[in-house]
Amino acid sequence: MKYKRINFIKLLKKYKSGWVAISSDFENVVFSGKTLKATMQKAKKYKEKLYYFPAGETYSNFVGLFSNANFKI
Amino acid sequence: MLILKYSLLPGLERTGVLAPVVPVTFIHGNFEFPTFALVDSGGEQGLISTVIADALNINWQKLPRHVGLTTSGNFVYHTFPNLVAKIDDYEFRLSINIAEGVNAFKCILGRKDIFQQAKITFEGYKKEFRIDFRNLN
Repeated sequence: MKYKRINFIKLLKKYKSGWVAISSDFENVVFSGKTLKATMQKAKKYKEKLYYFPAGETYSNFVGLFSNANFKI
Repeated sequence: MLILKYSLLPGLERTGVLAPVVPVTFIHGNFEFPTFALVDSGGEQGLISTVIADALNINWQKLPRHVGLTTSGNFVYHTFPNLVAKIDDYEFRLSINIAEGVNAFKCILGRKDIFQQAKITFEGYKKEFRIDFRNLN
């Protein structure tokens, strides 16, 4: 049984835009950049696994309902 | 079994809205993209933004376009049928929708994908959820 907790409030406190690369223990932001590409480029030589997430002011529509209507256009 | 605490996201502190978020690595050939996905029992199928699709080197522009429905309107998406997702040590294949014009953080796993792979128990009163992957061998 594995127990995980990700504190986005603490992780993203200093980051209001761009992207961050978060350590695999979800405790620290290791790299950040204006774009995802820039952030991944900085992390290129880093050997440990990193998780990428956009940094923004608010994630008010992070939770929302999607449904596949499947109308082909 | 994986037990995860619901996450509070910046900007939502006053609302108290918590999100069941799981760390996931998407894999497409030699490209891997570790990120975080919302586990959404209300979502029919997994969805990622075009930013994530680009990071996975998926040529989404060449996939057929469809229209989907949300609570706030329509969205255009393309279905990529052969993505791999890895959560902890468990890997599975899924068909994913790639949505245009949505926030880069949009990353959802839904009823047709993760809910087919695992028993997922939401315990809102504990602010946590459990993912127990099925043994399909």
